[in-house]
Amino acid sequence: MKKRVVSLMLVGVIALSLAACGNNGGSTQGGSDSGVKITILNSKTEIQTQFEEMAEKYSEEKGVEVEVYNADTDTTVASQVATQYASGNPYTITMVDAKDIYSLADEYAYDLSNEDWASHTTLGITVNGKLAGFPVCVEARGLIYNADAIEAITGEEFKPENYTTLKDFTALLDELVAGGMESPVGILSEYWSLGAHYFAEVYEQQTDPDAFVNGLLAGTEDLDSNDKFNQLMDTFDTLKKYNYAKDSAANADREESSMKLAEGEIAFMFGGNWDWSVINQYDYTENMGIMPVPEDTTDGTNTTLVGGGSKYFFVDSSDSTSDDQRKAALDFLNWLVSDEEGNTFLTESCALVPAFDNIDAASLDPLSSSVKSYSDSGLIANYNFLPDDHMTVVGQEIMQKYLDDVIDRAELASQVEEYFKGATAIPH
Amino acid sequence: MKTNSFGYKFRQYLLFAGVTTFLFTAVVIVPFFYGLYLTFTKYDGVSTSKPLVGFANYISAFKDTDYWVSLGRTFIFSAIAVVLVNLFAFVLAYMVTTGIKGQNFFRTGFFIPNLIGGIVLGYVWKFVFNKALVELTENITSGNAKSLLATPTGAIAALIIVSVWQYAGYMMLIYVAGFMSVSEDVIEAAKIDGCTGTQSIIHISIPLMSASFVQCLFLTITRCFMVYDVNFSLTNGDPYGESALAAMHVFNTAFTNKDYGTGQAEALILFVICAVVGGLQVYVGKKAEVEA
Amino acid sequence: MDQNKKAAIAKRIRHILMILVLAILFIIVIFPFILVLINAFKVKSDITADPLRLIGKHGFTLDNFTNAMKKMNFWKVFGNSLIITTFSTILTIFLSSMTAHLIVRNNWKANKILFVLMIASMVIPFQVLMIPLVSLYGGVFGILNHRITLILMHTGFSVSMATFMFHGAINTNVPISLEEAAKIDGCTKWQTFWRIVFPILKPTVATVAIIDAMAFWNDYLLPSLVLKQKDLFTIPIATKVFYGTYSTDTGLIMAALLLAMLPILILYLFLQRYIVEGITAGAVK
Repeated sequence: MKKRVVSLMLVGVIALSLAACGNNGGSTQGGSDSGVKITILNSKTEIQTQFEEMAEKYSEEKGVEVEVYNADTDTTVASQVATQYASGNPYTITMVDAKDIYSLADEYAYDLSNEDWASHTTLGITVNGKLAGFPVCVEARGLIYNADAIEAITGEEFKPENYTTLKDFTALLDELVAGGMESPVGILSEYWSLGAHYFAEVYEQQTDPDAFVNGLLAGTEDLDSNDKFNQLMDTFDTLKKYNYAKDSAANADREESSMKLAEGEIAFMFGGNWDWSVINQYDYTENMGIMPVPEDTTDGTNTTLVGGGSKYFFVDSSDSTSDDQRKAALDFLNWLVSDEEGNTFLTESCALVPAFDNIDAASLDPLSSSVKSYSDSGLIANYNFLPDDHMTVVGQEIMQKYLDDVIDRAELASQVEEYFKGATAIPH
Repeated sequence: MKTNSFGYKFRQYLLFAGVTTFLFTAVVIVPFFYGLYLTFTKYDGVSTSKPLVGFANYISAFKDTDYWVSLGRTFIFSAIAVVLVNLFAFVLAYMVTTGIKGQNFFRTGFFIPNLIGGIVLGYVWKFVFNKALVELTENITSGNAKSLLATPTGAIAALIIVSVWQYAGYMMLIYVAGFMSVSEDVIEAAKIDGCTGTQSIIHISIPLMSASFVQCLFLTITRCFMVYDVNFSLTNGDPYGESALAAMHVFNTAFTNKDYGTGQAEALILFVICAVVGGLQVYVGKKAEVEA
Repeated sequence: MDQNKKAAIAKRIRHILMILVLAILFIIVIFPFILVLINAFKVKSDITADPLRLIGKHGFTLDNFTNAMKKMNFWKVFGNSLIITTFSTILTIFLSSMTAHLIVRNNWKANKILFVLMIASMVIPFQVLMIPLVSLYGGVFGILNHRITLILMHTGFSVSMATFMFHGAINTNVPISLEEAAKIDGCTKWQTFWRIVFPILKPTVATVAIIDAMAFWNDYLLPSLVLKQKDLFTIPIATKVFYGTYSTDTGLIMAALLLAMLPILILYLFLQRYIVEGITAGAVK
């Protein structure tokens, strides 16, 4: 009998507590001063902490509850947005990559073209006449250098503009080696770096990237004889030759390479201004910057960085978001651009290069100030319409092999051509 | 009370299995069939429209050579991993049932890897392979060491090592149970008949433990075929995409390439293969059990 | 006499060798844990530079723990994990032991169908169910974002395996004569189950408890799909903050891993003496 009582009690306890759980869950959905709550998905995970602190302050000051969610790193942002919409539970504001905007805009993005800030940027993304994407920041890619490490050997001030050609650059590398820096370069072996960041420049630096990629998709373009491809790969070969992880390229991950660069063990690493968040975890120097990838070319592509708007906010237009929430979301975007506090959040707390011409950005980190100075005179634009699997196929299946000397340049060219023939184009 | 009437059976079923049936149906059966329906639609995972496309997704799944390559890789990986996991588990089980000192401590200890799960496990091991082991070999050989994860074969080997590490302890316990179920008398009798220790294991213990083998093999085979977490966090397909196993490929097709229908179709093919292999193994095992 | 002595010595040597082999294997098995333990007390730059050093260049630090706890909102998510794990585990044990008993003792068609479906479901990759699950329960019914939804889903997913284990245990360890005797004494099936059968199943209960509790405690994918609100997060979801898009905050991860592991390790040490017994019962059908 005792046992029965115990088991009945247990069942009772469970039932009660489950009911309690249900209530708890339910009550959290509403609740805040004005009753309006907006949710933001942040897919720039390195600024998550700053974002949360800002949200807390913003909620207090404006009476609108802002909750910031960190994007999942196991999956792509796109897949997270997918499950969110499938569950009828979208974020009010979602931060996605440029290419995602094109696939989401028609159905889910609210038209932002009447917003005040729209006239202050050229980087917004318009899809079918609807301004759908709010550019979060400007990011650009190039060679990151540690000037202290270089100057310690050469004994003179490092001026990146003197090393735009491969010849001059190689001479400098040789000088560094002679001066005791065994291998002055680091190449990240991660496929996103190789595919989406380095190899993508082959398309982006063409005079007409869209025509070029369409040619590849149609199978009419010949990479082997393409000047841009060969110039960039010549440079890549040089970087490989001086790579500190030459014998085991795959060991060179982002942490290790960033540490070596920060501490001056190597002088150059291909990357972008987002790398600062890793570099500043180590014993770094402020005397760093980003320079264009040196190339033997006369078309001017070796004098500026490749980049542009990176990460875009879009506001949900579906019925899951109420008009009040949408209004609060628009207010928030406006606040970022036109309120001094919003500006400070972007440029100082998060150290982002602003995408709006009315925002002053004086106190940026060294890499971002490089980007800012190049972007003021014009960057080479990102190309946002590479097929969805480009990064994994070209970056992982092809470029990693080239980095490890498993395939040569002719095979590299033919494999990329082969890939494009079977790839699905992104409509735009 | 009539225990044969439908009403009685129905009430008993509801009482003992009603809630179970409801929950199981709600979270497994219904979504499974809804998922089956989705394989006949074109769906990118976000769009509100899901037009029916017939068998198009299955056709593109059959044409997806990367998928079949990753399936082949999964077969090789599973074959090796299943053998090694069970070998280690069996030998460990034997050693901790011989009555040596501290056998309980070892039984407890080898089970510990099961306490941490999935994604984190892969990150920890990546750290072990890329950092700790490289550092260790460099200290010993004072040269440059290459990470095991740098070559495709090495990466698959690493996945196998982690699987053995993760599952051997669990399977060991099942084999321990098997060893304990073989009665002492039988072994004693064999000894008197002149059997050596090894002989008595091969000719007496193993046949009597066939139930344990069936269970362990079923568990390891299905787990190896469906492995995703560790694959993702340990190698993520690196290098060259040649360490991506089937489940990971399916995931990428569905979400990275935003081709949900094809991904779901590929997942179903994986399920069918899993079910056939698992079922076949149990069938063969049971048959052997009966004959033994 | 002499031969006996020889045999005893041989046995002794064999045992010592075996203990040695086991000890070496044991060290290999816990090596990753030792590594986590060492590095949880170092700053990030020391972890990258010198993963094997006991104490890094920048010295011993507890910052990883305080930072990790603060960033995760540790006590809140710990509470959520505890509630969800506890109730899912208890529900799974009760429901599947009852179901298993019904299936073992009654040779009905419905039982057979249920059991076959359950076994088949063990080979369904979770990815197959993921999107359908959220579109149904989020999109159509709108019941995500409740802890109870997750508890019921956890239970629904784990009953198959648990029923399977109880099925084996009841088959081998519960003599049918006991139940018949209870019946003669006037017990109903329900009473018989709770008074006679369930107590005998204690080792299996312990085994199912530890295996499922572990799975629920560590699960990431399902909770991340069901719980989208911060105040409902579980430990694995909260730990995600430390994995950046392209890089990871290693020190915090190590600390979080230790914090998350501790409760389950304690539970395991409490229950471990039943586990071998429990798996024994489940294994032999």
